[in-house]
Amino acid sequence: MSGPARSVANKRPNDQLVNNQSGPAAASAPAVQSPSIAVLRDVHFDVDSGKTVFSALDIEIRRGAITAIMGPSGTGKTTLLKLITGQVCADRGQVVVDGLDVAKLNRKQIFALRRRMGMLFQNGALLTDLDVFENVAFPLREHTRLPERLIRTIVLMKLHAVGLRGAADLYPQQLSGGMGRRVALARAIVMDPEILIYDEPFAGLDPISMGVVLRLIRSLNDALGITSIVVTHDVREISQIADMSFIIAEGKVVASGTTAELRDHPSPIVHQFVDGLADGPVPFHYPAAEYHEQLLGGKVFA
Amino acid sequence: MITILRDLVQSFLTFLERVGLLVRFALRLFAILPSGLLRVRPIIEQVYNTGAMSLVIIMTCGLFVGMVLGLQGYDLLTRFGSEEYLGTATAISLLRELGPVVTALLFAGRAGTALAAELGLMRATDQIAAMEIMAVDPMRRVVLPRFLGGVIAMPLLVSIFIVVALFGAQLVGVEFFGVDSGSYWSQMRSAVELSDIREGLVKGLVFGVACSLIAVYEGYNAMPTAEGVGRATTRTVVISAVVTLILDYILTALML
Repeated sequence: MSGPARSVANKRPNDQLVNNQSGPAAASAPAVQSPSIAVLRDVHFDVDSGKTVFSALDIEIRRGAITAIMGPSGTGKTTLLKLITGQVCADRGQVVVDGLDVAKLNRKQIFALRRRMGMLFQNGALLTDLDVFENVAFPLREHTRLPERLIRTIVLMKLHAVGLRGAADLYPQQLSGGMGRRVALARAIVMDPEILIYDEPFAGLDPISMGVVLRLIRSLNDALGITSIVVTHDVREISQIADMSFIIAEGKVVASGTTAELRDHPSPIVHQFVDGLADGPVPFHYPAAEYHEQLLGGKVFA
Repeated sequence: MITILRDLVQSFLTFLERVGLLVRFALRLFAILPSGLLRVRPIIEQVYNTGAMSLVIIMTCGLFVGMVLGLQGYDLLTRFGSEEYLGTATAISLLRELGPVVTALLFAGRAGTALAAELGLMRATDQIAAMEIMAVDPMRRVVLPRFLGGVIAMPLLVSIFIVVALFGAQLVGVEFFGVDSGSYWSQMRSAVELSDIREGLVKGLVFGVACSLIAVYEGYNAMPTAEGVGRATTRTVVISAVVTLILDYILTALML
C-alpha cells in the first residue's frame, strides 16, 4: 500500500467517532458532527464459500463529498455498500456510520439509520406492481403520516428534479433503463437522506442517460448538502464529479485520493485500472493450466 | 456402505435444517401477524390475486370432478339398486376429502407457484433488498399479506369447488342418467351433517396455511437467479402436494 491509501490505513482508531449507542433512539439521533460520515477500519470479510473479500480494508468517507469506490469486477465494491448499510457484518474490524458502530446496532436501530440513507441500485429495483408515482411515494407512505396532498407535492417535486414528472403514471416495465434509474434516484432522495449511495449508476446506460445521471449526482449532492458514495468502474465518468476516490483490489484499498492524484499514482494496478489496460497486475486470464498443455493434452478442464 | 450411510445422515441433517428454517420463518410471520392484520387493503388485494384469480381453474376442475363422481357413483350404486344415494355419496366424499384436497393441489399449482415466482423475482431484481434499505420490513410489507391472502382464500375456494362439483354430479346423475332429483337433494340433506362441512372447512384452512406458508417461504428464500426462481416454484408444488396429503391423513384420523 502506498501514498494516500497508506495514510488512511495507518490511522489510529478514534473512539470519539463512536457515539454512546444506548436505546433505539441512538441510531436516529444526529451524531457529533465529524468530518467523516463513514469509517471502515481494519475490516475483514469472508463470504460463505471461504473466499476472502476484504482483508484489512480501511476507508474514510468525508461528509458532504462525492466519494467514488472503484476497482475491478469482483473486488467487493457492492459488499462494501452492504457493510455500510448494515446488510452484512464484518468478520473483524469496525464499520462506523455517522458515529454509530453498525455491528452493534439491533434491527430497529439499523432501520433508523437506514432512514437517513438513500440507495440507488444497479437495476433501479423499482417495485414492479406500483407505478412511478407510487414507487417514489413508497418511503413516505411507509414512514410518515403526511397528508395525501403533501405527499403528492413532494413526489412531484422529486420527479421534477430528475426530469420525470411527466412519467408519474407509467409503470416500471414502460421505462427505459435510464428513466428507471432516475425514478429510483427520485425515490432514494424522497426522504431527504444524509447519505446517498449509488451502486453502479452508469452501468448499461447510453451516453445521454449517463450524462444526465452524472449531472444529477453532482447537483443533488450540492443542492441537498448530502454525502454521496458512488460504486463504479466507469473511471472517466466518475472522475468528472468525484471529490475523492478509492481503488479497491485484492481485499484492500490500493490507492486513494483525488482524480489527479490517482492519475499520477505509481502503483501498476492503479495505472492498469485508470488506463483501462487489459493485462497487468489484474490478469486478463482466469487462472488455468498451461494453454498448450490443455489444448494438446485433451483435458477439458484444469 | 459407509459413504451411503454418510450421505443418508447428511440428507437427514439437511432436511432437519430446512424444516428448522421453515419453522423459524413461520414463527417470525406469526409474530408480526397482529400488526399485519391492521393493514387490510394489501390483504384484500392478495385475496383477490390468490383467490379470485384461481376461480376459473377451481370451478372448471370442480365441475369435472363432480361429473366424474356422478358417473362412477351412479355406476357403483346401480349395482346395489341404491342410486338415490348418489347425492349423499358425492356430497360426503366432496366435503370430507376431495373438495379440500383437490382444491389444495390446484391452489399449490396456480396460486402457490405464482406467489413463489413473484417473491423470487422480487428477490432477484433487488426489490426486497431495496425495501430493506428503505427501512421497510419486507416480511411485513410483502410476505405477510400474501400469506394471509392465501389462508383466507383457501376455505372460500374449497366451498366454491364443492358447490360446483355437486352441481356437476347432479348434472350427470339427475339430468343424464335420470336419478330422481328429489331423492338426490333430500338424501343429501338428511345424511350430511354439520361435522362433515366443518371437516371440509377445517381441512381447507389448514391446507391454506400450509400451502401459503410453503409458497412464500420458497419464494422469499429463492436464489436470486432464473434457475433459483424456477427451483422455488417447483419445490412449492412438490412440497405443498406432499404436505397436503400427509396433513390430510392426520386430520382425517383426528376428526373421524
